[in-house]
Amino acid sequence: MSGAEKTIPLREGLWTEKGHDGQPHLLGHRCLDCGEVFFPRKENGICTHCHSQNLELIELSRKGQVHAFSVVMLRPPGGYYRGDVPYALANVLLDEGVLVEGLVTDVNLDDIKVGMDMELKIDKLHEDDEGNTVMTYKFRPSAA
Amino acid sequence: MKNMREAVIAGVGITKFDSYDGEKGRPLRQFYDLGSEAIQKALDDAGMEWNDIQAAFCGSVYCGTGSGHQTIQKIGLTGIPIVNVENACSSGISALRLAFQMVGAEIYDCVIAAGFEQMPRGPIQSTAWPVWQRQMGFNVQPADYAMRTVRYMEETGATEEDFARVTVKNRNNGSLNPNARMQKPVTIEEVLSSRMVAKPLRFLNACPLADGGTAVIVCSRDKLKSTDKVVTVAAATLCTAFYSSARIQGADHVQTSADQAFEMAGMGPEDMDVVQAYDTMSPGELWDLEKLGFCKKGEAPHLLREGYFDLSGKLPVNTDGGLMSRGHPLGATALAQVIEIYRQIRGEAGPRQVAGAKAGLAHAMGAGPNSGVVILKR
Repeated sequence: MSGAEKTIPLREGLWTEKGHDGQPHLLGHRCLDCGEVFFPRKENGICTHCHSQNLELIELSRKGQVHAFSVVMLRPPGGYYRGDVPYALANVLLDEGVLVEGLVTDVNLDDIKVGMDMELKIDKLHEDDEGNTVMTYKFRPSAA
Repeated sequence: MKNMREAVIAGVGITKFDSYDGEKGRPLRQFYDLGSEAIQKALDDAGMEWNDIQAAFCGSVYCGTGSGHQTIQKIGLTGIPIVNVENACSSGISALRLAFQMVGAEIYDCVIAAGFEQMPRGPIQSTAWPVWQRQMGFNVQPADYAMRTVRYMEETGATEEDFARVTVKNRNNGSLNPNARMQKPVTIEEVLSSRMVAKPLRFLNACPLADGGTAVIVCSRDKLKSTDKVVTVAAATLCTAFYSSARIQGADHVQTSADQAFEMAGMGPEDMDVVQAYDTMSPGELWDLEKLGFCKKGEAPHLLREGYFDLSGKLPVNTDGGLMSRGHPLGATALAQVIEIYRQIRGEAGPRQVAGAKAGLAHAMGAGPNSGVVILKR
């Protein structure tokens, strides 16, 4: 520990801390030609549905429902994931109709169900080797 | 693809699928040992010499540069073109499709497709996920299958007991296959009490890994050394993903690869006497049978319960035990699917023979995604 530890995002550009309503929002792309919505954004600026390069950066809804989920009982290979095991992953269908895979938090792992209302939470993922707190997006149950 | 010359299978070869890692008294055998054993067996089966082979397509995933060349060097050096095919779990069927097309297009008269693998030890480092997604714990293949399974249960009412039944059926069939890694049957209770891997999938819902080699010789009819019980390759197709999302419904690549195969063969699902569906995870076999066109969505669990897919059923599925019993050497798996259909049509499947089998379908799919279908007929 050098004393210079910081709080850093897992990856730049996945979300904004303060969206139009002052709350965090995931950032996606909308194709201005076919209307398809993507998360994460298309780094190369190409719509993989209609091949247009006419994409606009948008704030995605903070809310959605569980489309599918799994409770993972083993540690993933490679040592990249440093969190608790078991842990839950979910595909959450956001209000724009885009599926986002993410970690699920603030819930008893046995209580996760398809159709459950979820909302975005920016939360600690782990501490990196330099002692920085690495933040990421997660989903937690919401009041609909 | 119209008006192609008929391509037939001259012979096949397969090793026992097992762990050949040299540990705990197990033999150490490299991929080229396994691949060359399978190739030699295929030559013997066909009554051919290596000099009869005009080109080779070799499927593997983790064997590194020039793996087909290293394998064929153990058999003979005849200057023929050797092309290595890496298409994840569909590598072998992709190689076979190229052999089929080469013979069909009259570029060559006799081509070998091989598939082999010695699997890496320990957890497989998949590069299919970017680093940030691995840091979020997405890189767990069973979890991907688990989420698809949750959707399937939601949409069809299938249960964990149904998935256990797939394992039980395939392990029963595998007990009749001396080449399978797992030859001991299991019960529904054993599957349902095995440890959870990624909810709702358990250890015995997953196929085991294995090492192994496979080979299939494809030729024109005039090159056959024996015209007894000739098996024709009626179709070989390969599809990748069509754009699809929660908002936009795209075509399903598995369904399309099957539709194209039936059209190419001029046959339908009702003409198939035996099927090798894809069972890396046991629920996958159920939705696979639906997508391949053997029943409607959500019907496979009911048919399974009635014994429809049993060895003695109306449409036996995975008669050699499937991936669930054979084990899964990635590059070799797809041709093992094809070889079982060949054996069944030839009447050479021994205690697991399906009486009167005249035509069958083999499927292989996986990462990419790829989906390859082969239809064989007498």
